[in-house]
Amino acid sequence: MPPVTSDAQGKRTPPRGITGERPGPPRQSQAREGGAQTRQGRPRGARHPATMCELYSKRDTLALRGKHIGPSCKVFFASDPIKIVRAQRQYMFDENGEQYLDCINNVAHVGHCHPEVVKAALKQMELLNTNSRFLHDNIVEYAKRLSATLPEKLSVCYFTNSGSEANDLALRLAQQFTGHQDVITLDHAYHGHLSSLIEISPYKFLKGKDVKKEFVHVAPTPDTYRGKYREDHEDPASAYADEVKKIIEDAQSSERTIAAFIAESMQSCGGQIIPPAGYFQKVAEYVHGAGGVFIADEVQVGFGRVGKHFWSFQMHGEDFVPDIVTMGKSMGNGHPVACVITTKEIAEAFSSSGMEYFNTYAGNPVSCAVGLAVLDVIENEDLQENATRVGNFLTELLKKQKAKHTLIGDIRGIGLFIGIDLVKDHQKRTPATAEAQHIIYKMKEKRVLLSADGPHRNVLKIKPPMCFTEEDAKFMVDQLDGILTVLEEATGTKTESVTSENTPCKTKMLKEEHGELLRDSITDSKENSSRKRNGMYTDTHALLSKRVKT
Amino acid sequence: KGRRRQSRGSRLTGGLRGGPHLTVGHCHPLVVQAAHEQNQVLNTNSRYLHDNIVDYAQRLSETLPEQLCVFYFLNSGSEANDLALRLARHYTGHQDVVVLDHAYHGHLSSLIDISPYKFRNLDGQKEWVHVAPLPDTYRGPYQEDHPNPAVAYANEVKRVVSSAQEKGRKIAAFFAESLPSVGGQIIPPAGYFSQVAEHIRRAGGLFVADEIQVGFGRVGKHFWAFQLQGKDFIPDIVTMGKSIGNGHPVACVATTQPVARAFEATGVEYFNTFGGSPVSCAVGLAVLNVLEKEQLQAHATSVGNFLMELLGQQKIKHPIIGDVRGVGLFIGVDLIKDEATRTPATEEAAYLVSRLKENYVLLSTDGPGRNILKFKPPMCFSLDNARHVVAKLDAILTDMEEKVRSCETLRLQP
Repeated sequence: MPPVTSDAQGKRTPPRGITGERPGPPRQSQAREGGAQTRQGRPRGARHPATMCELYSKRDTLALRGKHIGPSCKVFFASDPIKIVRAQRQYMFDENGEQYLDCINNVAHVGHCHPEVVKAALKQMELLNTNSRFLHDNIVEYAKRLSATLPEKLSVCYFTNSGSEANDLALRLAQQFTGHQDVITLDHAYHGHLSSLIEISPYKFLKGKDVKKEFVHVAPTPDTYRGKYREDHEDPASAYADEVKKIIEDAQSSERTIAAFIAESMQSCGGQIIPPAGYFQKVAEYVHGAGGVFIADEVQVGFGRVGKHFWSFQMHGEDFVPDIVTMGKSMGNGHPVACVITTKEIAEAFSSSGMEYFNTYAGNPVSCAVGLAVLDVIENEDLQENATRVGNFLTELLKKQKAKHTLIGDIRGIGLFIGIDLVKDHQKRTPATAEAQHIIYKMKEKRVLLSADGPHRNVLKIKPPMCFTEEDAKFMVDQLDGILTVLEEATGTKTESVTSENTPCKTKMLKEEHGELLRDSITDSKENSSRKRNGMYTDTHALLSKRVKT
Repeated sequence: KGRRRQSRGSRLTGGLRGGPHLTVGHCHPLVVQAAHEQNQVLNTNSRYLHDNIVDYAQRLSETLPEQLCVFYFLNSGSEANDLALRLARHYTGHQDVVVLDHAYHGHLSSLIDISPYKFRNLDGQKEWVHVAPLPDTYRGPYQEDHPNPAVAYANEVKRVVSSAQEKGRKIAAFFAESLPSVGGQIIPPAGYFSQVAEHIRRAGGLFVADEIQVGFGRVGKHFWAFQLQGKDFIPDIVTMGKSIGNGHPVACVATTQPVARAFEATGVEYFNTFGGSPVSCAVGLAVLNVLEKEQLQAHATSVGNFLMELLGQQKIKHPIIGDVRGVGLFIGVDLIKDEATRTPATEEAAYLVSRLKENYVLLSTDGPGRNILKFKPPMCFSLDNARHVVAKLDAILTDMEEKVRSCETLRLQP
């Protein structure tokens, strides 16, 4: 392997390829052109010349990762990870120039590497990037623009760097304001990776060795497909809300006091759950009655993803207004920005302790410039309307797939937030966990990136960049259709109509392959990782010394 | 670089105050360029393989002792310290933490609990937190005239640990800023950390060195401030932030393979949406490159020494200056009302800082008595900047002394 050399300035020279030539510098204009062409229907899967100078071969990247990155940090597709070197709009490109349709990254909200956002960042980075203890226009302008998207009483902003920091601060605000301690959270909720948030995220603490803390109360997640009260219940919203009421009463009878109810406006890790209409209003009523506040976690789902509204909680009606809203992820299109927005009363109570809240990087001029640019793009490119239109179109296509494939138990979603719930059996709704893993690997082969989540890892999650098109939707569904058909034939499951092209001669091979993959998938789907899942190769390939020398 | 322009063009010197997270100077063109180039190509999460994150981890590992070779990337020093706490707890199976008085480790719920600087004014001390005296040889219980302050302060930690153990409590970690900043620009005496580490490890705990304020060559002689404590001292976990990205939200936790493995064994994934992104890593790499290329560590030593010398002269001239302490471009000027009692000159310090601002020099104060002038400017701070600041300081202190003298004279008049 050719050496990675460093020149006098310590600048690395990439290795020569097989032809003896070094790959050229990233061709940015080509990258943007590629995006434009793709929008107009460039052939899928067409090879695109490598546009990034790779420092290391993929194998070496993986090895170095195994050596230096915490093994708890997992990669997608653990048994065959992808190296992504470039992305534009809703497409990602690997080190060989292969294009993938990205259905996962809600973080790249307005499209990967959007030129307006990149430009805004550059302009501000060249000028000033410092902390919020100095007056600056960007932070106040951004706060103003954000609060304009929310009901009037939600007018005070605290900027942070991540959704986790935002949720941690939300808890502090709630506890300080109410003088209470306890928090009600939903089953399968995920609010972040910080110590305080793992405590209120059953999605995390139930998996690990952590035990549920006394001050945390877990309410059943309002999942009308697999939860306690389903679509055939006469009033699931009230039934689920009554569960919260019961928790409050139980807590109060033990002389505990409720500080907050916290919920993702739509659970994502919990399986793309859309709470039934009326649920949040009733819960808010009970929580307020107990002296607590309602925290709406919009980290995954805010900024117009649902199409019809800017914030997901707004789907529940104008009469529902949370006390605290947290946002992150999509906010900066990948730049670390997040925020907590609350009422004047709560903010005043927080400051009455006399203790300052200072976050070194948050609210800096660059982060705010980026945030403002994202808001502008959402507006200028009419991305909410796109989310509605494409989301509806995709949902329709998926519903047809549901009618065709018995593996699909449920299609649920709104705007560009959609979930495909895979089941082995429609009666019991047994999660088709292994099948889901198999499908996402197969979709990857077809150059579509999807992930699976939910407590049983059986819900295919679709939350792509908001510039996703109808053509992308059709492409995605076509690939899924093909894979499902093959899978069902291989497992002997009936499909409604047999239209697959991939039949008889491949069936035996597919059965074996399928069996193997299911076995692997079962291992993969557990959090107790095999070495393969870490993306670490245990074959004879030698680990690199500190400086890559070949 | 060392200067900042106001909207109407008048210059403010120094960024002495806003400084610490801007290692290589505000808006350094190479860092901006690195961010911009990467922004145009890819900025996504660490669940995909990418060269930047592994390259950055490798470069960082070269600055550290060999066993500190596993990295977690995050967005802020606070996130880093929270993860360090989680790592220590999972590895040791213990809960309790020993911290220094007046420490500040971050604004998250978990960190307020281990930051006396914060919790003394908020929720108070939790039962799993144990506070040892700050090893401040100017104002602490063992001062510069003590025969062996390092041992004395380390024994305090030993005492705190024993007392906790007597109550059946178990120590997960000792957390300390390698050079406590908020506590007043404290330079712990040599040998202190090694001895503390001994006591903590004997109790089954880990040593966490918080380098967030002081890492990346600020002390001049070394890349990391903990390295001032000698080659034989190696922390179990190091947290870094602030200066790491010259203002871009980046932070990092470095630890050993065993600690990382224990965390992995919990079976729960650690995923940070933005941490370790290609842009953040490109920025981090650019900062490392600039530090090397512009030889900012050596620069910090020469300018820092020069500044200390000038301030030392000021100390002789102005009785309000009780102590000048520091290393590299991390300096504190301790202002006192009285040499014998070393009472903090809190109001005078506040007044001085506002007068400096009028003179376009940005400085801040800290320490429990809010009386220590903190110098931790961008590393490109020059000899001229040092002269300029000290000249201003001198003039203002002289003026303040004049005023006091003239008041006394007035009071003495019949």
